[in-house]
Amino acid sequence: MAPTRLASKPIGVTDNFISHGITTRSKQLASLKTHKDNLKMPNKRKADSPLKDVTAKRAAFGDITNAYNKSCGANDKVMPLKKVTVESKMLPVVKSIKPQTTILNGKTSKTKQLQRVATNALETVQKHFAKDPPKPIATRAQNGILKNIERKSIGKENQNSSQNSTKSGRSDVSGEPSLYMTALENISPSEVTKEEYKTISDKLDKVNLDDSSNKLLDDETDIPHKPPPGVVDFDLENWNDPFQVSQYAMDIFNYLKSRERLFLIDDYLVRMEGITSWMRALLVDWMVEVQESFELNHETLYLAVKLVDLYMTRSSKTHPQQNRLTKEELQLLGASALFIASKFDERIPPLVDDFLYICDGAYTLSQLLKMEMNILRVVDFDLGIPLSYRFLRRYARCARVSMPTLTLARFVLEQCLLEYGLLENSDSKMAAAALYLALRMKSLGHWTPTLQYYTGYSVKDILPLAKAQNSVLHKKPKSAISTVRNKYSHTIFFEVAKVPLIDDSVLSS
Amino acid sequence: MQKYEKLEKIGEGTYGTVFKAKNKETHEIVALKRVRLDDDDEGVPSSALREICLLKELKHKNIVRLYDVLHSEKKLTLVFEHCDQDLKKYFDSLNGEIDLDVVKSFMYQLLRGLAFCHSHNVLHRDLKPQNLLINKNGELKLADFGLARAFGIPVKCYSAEVVTLWYRPPDVLFGAKLYTTSIDMWSAGCIFAELANSGRPLFPGSDVDDQLKRIFKLLGTPNEDTWPGVTQLPDYKPLPVYQPSLGLAQVVPRLPARGRDLLARLLTCNPALRMPADDAMAHAYFHDLNPSVKNDRC
Repeated sequence: MAPTRLASKPIGVTDNFISHGITTRSKQLASLKTHKDNLKMPNKRKADSPLKDVTAKRAAFGDITNAYNKSCGANDKVMPLKKVTVESKMLPVVKSIKPQTTILNGKTSKTKQLQRVATNALETVQKHFAKDPPKPIATRAQNGILKNIERKSIGKENQNSSQNSTKSGRSDVSGEPSLYMTALENISPSEVTKEEYKTISDKLDKVNLDDSSNKLLDDETDIPHKPPPGVVDFDLENWNDPFQVSQYAMDIFNYLKSRERLFLIDDYLVRMEGITSWMRALLVDWMVEVQESFELNHETLYLAVKLVDLYMTRSSKTHPQQNRLTKEELQLLGASALFIASKFDERIPPLVDDFLYICDGAYTLSQLLKMEMNILRVVDFDLGIPLSYRFLRRYARCARVSMPTLTLARFVLEQCLLEYGLLENSDSKMAAAALYLALRMKSLGHWTPTLQYYTGYSVKDILPLAKAQNSVLHKKPKSAISTVRNKYSHTIFFEVAKVPLIDDSVLSS
Repeated sequence: MQKYEKLEKIGEGTYGTVFKAKNKETHEIVALKRVRLDDDDEGVPSSALREICLLKELKHKNIVRLYDVLHSEKKLTLVFEHCDQDLKKYFDSLNGEIDLDVVKSFMYQLLRGLAFCHSHNVLHRDLKPQNLLINKNGELKLADFGLARAFGIPVKCYSAEVVTLWYRPPDVLFGAKLYTTSIDMWSAGCIFAELANSGRPLFPGSDVDDQLKRIFKLLGTPNEDTWPGVTQLPDYKPLPVYQPSLGLAQVVPRLPARGRDLLARLLTCNPALRMPADDAMAHAYFHDLNPSVKNDRC
């Protein structure tokens, strides 16, 4: 689903340039309707099924995109910005989606029961917030939702106060949905409102990439990792902010990078029967939706997707053909992976019932727990998997890019989560390439020595990957896998999904 | 489970029972921690999940080694290296005062284990004498990672319900959910004082308020000058203003001046100023540390 609003013309770009170089998504959409083939289409994977197959696949898939279908099927042209505001976010969805599910899928008692649970939960929520202004609440089975409320009320105030200086009474009254806080953990520690942030960020965008503007203190001798001349010593500059863990940051990221080789993912689909890259994309799209609904950390999402791919990579090598995962079990794998990742990373993980609920009763408790153990066995209980999301945050902070730019890079990464063809790339490289692509999309200059130092990658190293990611962005939007795009079309994510696309030639220039 | 013969129950961990056992083939003594998996439960408990994952990664001389994880339908069994006792029991078995060289050695090993955790993005979050294992060779190992977690950079909000009360830092006592490696350094400071006093706990508070008062009576009540931001912490409450009355010399009389200096740097209320583990290892207090302890590579 492409955004309906026209993307404005980027400032400082000539018409001439636009017509040759930049493909805005609105243009893309327009041309799609008239002459599809004129547009430069990304290299599609062979396994991608043509659109006409979509419905069949989805049916075969069970309910993997159930929630999605309802929200956009109903309002046709209107872009289904499901999470527009806090108040309207999940509560109406609870009401509207489930009955429809019942009708659509002909589910019987289990669905009804879940529906009742959801309604109960809804009442609990409404009761709870009778005196207070409404706060965001995700769809939960009842026993889960209570915990969720607790999380909301205790988790908020401290969320972003990583700095000891400025503290405003902002968070609760500004209407800023806290659900995206995890995504927006600020890049600058002080608290400012989003508008201020945007202004500041835009200004920062213009100045921060200038390496030479930051002078180093040379009298510090106690720094274990001293960067070469011309490189901003990010950790030294943040030495006094304990939340940056500057003391260990370099060690930790070197360590994470050294572990990447332990978690390689190969072209496993050649060993899997009946599972296609399209099904995987649907699965990941659904997982993103679960992440949003449960307000999970992005690390949880990325870890869960990793677990899915690692499981398929490894189990398809070791398990005999008849024991390998079937397409009917794909969603079970995704749900169990999210279940595990939540327990590993979340402060208050959703309960097992919540995960059964989001699968719409397709699987039993014992199936989910069995799959949990299967995954843990296959990954040998090693969940310390380096994640592109973490690398990206580090790189972006070191380069001092603004929040909108970081968010754009996050959009690139998240969109690429769905892309089977990119799985063999290491996470640190994916992060570096996504950041490079975002910088170029926002015309913010080049790969600086600072970025090269902290990422360990030169432009030459990441250019082919950045191009591949760019072609993912250029892909024709498909309604069945539009969750990421919709998510990042939201103002809370600075509407980065609407940033005009660029041509590959801009990347290499 | 036939591989191991259970010998005796050692204790209860954060989750599940711990047994001493013998490998029937190699006769090696191990510790088995059993995690029950009930069918109507939440699957593998998150504390067990984290402990297994983190310990699989953290291979270090000063961190208890997880040899293996055995799984059956109904339970998980974690196979750990066995140590003879924990620091608490070590204290109980002392006759008279502890040897100050032992204090130094234990403290150094504790810091070395911690530095390893922290540089591998792991917070322990439950350091106390019961969770430090001591073997016959005088080696100290961090154990019980049931409350530990991997942290991101910058850190996010984590649970404020961590660390046993007596070893909990003032920022967490004030409800801070945003904390980092400094959380473990406070506990290390408390343990340092307890070591120097042959097992007498430094701040044996009865509840959060009492705990804070005990701390501030010794170190002085913090304010916005000494600790910017303290009044903004979620559970901050004004407490009686104590001046740092007692010198550390009276609290840890046996500790030499350098040791007291290190202790003061660990027991710093403002987490931003608390000394990190690898800096602490380089502190002058350890200059005359027995080289065999210092050079003992992991």
